[in-house]
Amino acid sequence: MPETAMRGNGSKHFRYFVAAKPNGSTGDGTPEHPSRSIREAIEDIRVRHAGDSPSVQRLNGYDRIDICSVFKGPTTSDTKQRYEFFVDPLGASDLAIGSAQLPWPDLESALEGVAKMDAEGAIPLGPGEHLSLSVREVFSATPVDRRKRRHERIAQVVLGLVTLTLVVPLVAILGHLVYKAWPVLTPSFLFENPRNQMTAGGVWAPLIGTFYLVFISLLVASPIGVLAGVYLNEYARDNWFTRVVNLAVVNLAGVPSIVHALFGVGAFVMFANMGESVLAASCTLAIMTLPVIITSTREALASVPMNFREACWNMGASRWQTIRTIVLPNSINGILTGVILQVSRAAGETAPILFTGAALYMTIPTKGLRSFFPYSLQDGCMALSYHLHVMMTQVKGASPEAIEAGKSLPLEHLQYGTAIVLIGLVLTVNSFSIGLRMYLRSRKKW
Amino acid sequence: MATITGNLNERPARARRGYSSLHRLGELAIESLIRLCGWSAILFVFGIFFFVFREGAPMLFGGLDLVKFFTSTDWNPVSKTPSYGILGLLAGTASVTVLSMALAVPLGLGAAVFVSEFCSPKIKEALKIAIEMLAAIPSIVWGFIAYMMLNPLIIWVTGAPVGLNVLNASIILALMSVPVIVSVGEDALKAVPDSYREAALALGASRWEIVYRVLFPAAKNGLLAAVLLGIGRAIGETMAVLMATGNANQIPTSPLDRVQTLTATIAAELGEAVQGDDHYRVLFVIGILLFVIAFVVNLSADLIVRGIRGKQNA
Repeated sequence: MPETAMRGNGSKHFRYFVAAKPNGSTGDGTPEHPSRSIREAIEDIRVRHAGDSPSVQRLNGYDRIDICSVFKGPTTSDTKQRYEFFVDPLGASDLAIGSAQLPWPDLESALEGVAKMDAEGAIPLGPGEHLSLSVREVFSATPVDRRKRRHERIAQVVLGLVTLTLVVPLVAILGHLVYKAWPVLTPSFLFENPRNQMTAGGVWAPLIGTFYLVFISLLVASPIGVLAGVYLNEYARDNWFTRVVNLAVVNLAGVPSIVHALFGVGAFVMFANMGESVLAASCTLAIMTLPVIITSTREALASVPMNFREACWNMGASRWQTIRTIVLPNSINGILTGVILQVSRAAGETAPILFTGAALYMTIPTKGLRSFFPYSLQDGCMALSYHLHVMMTQVKGASPEAIEAGKSLPLEHLQYGTAIVLIGLVLTVNSFSIGLRMYLRSRKKW
Repeated sequence: MATITGNLNERPARARRGYSSLHRLGELAIESLIRLCGWSAILFVFGIFFFVFREGAPMLFGGLDLVKFFTSTDWNPVSKTPSYGILGLLAGTASVTVLSMALAVPLGLGAAVFVSEFCSPKIKEALKIAIEMLAAIPSIVWGFIAYMMLNPLIIWVTGAPVGLNVLNASIILALMSVPVIVSVGEDALKAVPDSYREAALALGASRWEIVYRVLFPAAKNGLLAAVLLGIGRAIGETMAVLMATGNANQIPTSPLDRVQTLTATIAAELGEAVQGDDHYRVLFVIGILLFVIAFVVNLSADLIVRGIRGKQNA
């Protein structure tokens, strides 16, 4: 068994040892048991590395075989190179002599060539010397390259799977919700009030309540949010105070929703004496969703090139005139995406309205104009998200007889129906925002 | 020969004709309004702290034994001799947060790397939309999913008697906080200058080598901030954990134990607490605690991110 070593670039290096002073028995090519002659070593190499048998250890690019002449015994295996021959599949030539310019095309012919030279006595090897046979494959990947490429493929597949594990639940959840809610997904489910202790009917009252909350919170949040975004991008200097403002925005976004609820209770319900009302709930939602609008407004404004402003200033316009006539019109769509995002956030939130204005159960008109404006701002209202919470935690399912008689629906159907209406609403609104953003990017002129 | 007089930096608007003082006044008004709105964020953060503190303060400074508050697991606010120990709730929040992060951090950072470095622009666009959709699902719907889908699934897989436990909440929280980690993490990777990537490519690095030898060290602050924001999200989440944890005040010993978190306690009990009594005020004290935790998490994330910005500018 010859010595095998991995070299720095990942290629293999085989060393076959030949006794400098052969005495009797032949060996297997190790330093302890060297072969008797170069011819025998070549036979070993041919058996191990050439031919077609499956156990053959093929040589790849940059691999090398040395035939080292040593004294028998545990001598050091460091030898000096005396002859160097090359194998290069791309450099095949009829005149191949194994030199760097005229390499042999494959290992078989190389071994033949070396054996011939050995027979002619052209390559005498002294003790401590070796001849080397290198496989050259200059333009193909080295083993290190191949390993790198393999690692890269593995990384890509693993990371891709990781990403897929995020998409799969999304699809599974949406699919499951739609599948389960299918029996109740009729127009009447949308346009009817909950009935029979919420064991029948639809989601009209909560749906309208959610519209109320979203609309009023939008009215409160969007002017403040947009102007705050304008301030941060157009007026604020790069100083510590602006850093504090930025930090406040980040923190406002990071405050847990239930703390917003406590704030709503303390500030709006009690301090401002609004009571548990649509107004208090909307204000709480507005403050909670404010950072969404601020951040996206700032981004939209920041994407307007500075030259636009400079050109306007050069015409003699003041700061506000520039903002009003140049900056805002050029970023209004971007601001809009943020506002839409705020709508989707506000529609889905539950915790902030739990104690500030969400009502457990109300009946509202379902016919005529009144059905669209049923709630008073001073009273509570139902909301889809809270309704879903109530359906899960407080409503008992109807008796089988009632379901049989057609008076009630199975609780599960109602729950899934409510969930799908809520998530449908939120995702639809969100898709608008995404669609608008993609449309904007495709039309971007600068 | 006209000579330029006065300060060139003076706003030209002042010298213009036909620009009445009314205009100027209006402009002044709108600029003050903009400034006021800009500062409002600070106002609101202080306002939140102030109003939550105002309701909790009477209890915080009178009657509440803070040592017992933090070290006792005995949370029994409605008995004749009420006791307020939140150790169990803290353990609940901590266990759910830690396990959810153990799931979300590899997933989130892996997805961030994939989206930012490994996929084609079209796939990237699609994935970002999917992740945005994941972020848009309301927390109550996540709670619904935990209750109706994951609950039976966990019972079926693990054989546990109840599927509402630490594991359930952690999976839900992981899915909820992954979008934050992905988007912030991707921003952090995007912020690494392309010259770094080009230099590594020129030295013969593969894309994976670029990621873990160049991008990770260069973007580690941003990635850390991403993880911190994910943690903030997980700690503050209310409705989903209210549904998913099973709400049993105890220190969990296995992922299949039921727990109760700080946020869920407020959500579950504030409605029943009588306004102004001790129980009500203790819930606000928990609110103060949550506010402080969120503040610290966000502040450190911000400082870390700003740390890199500062270094890059220098």
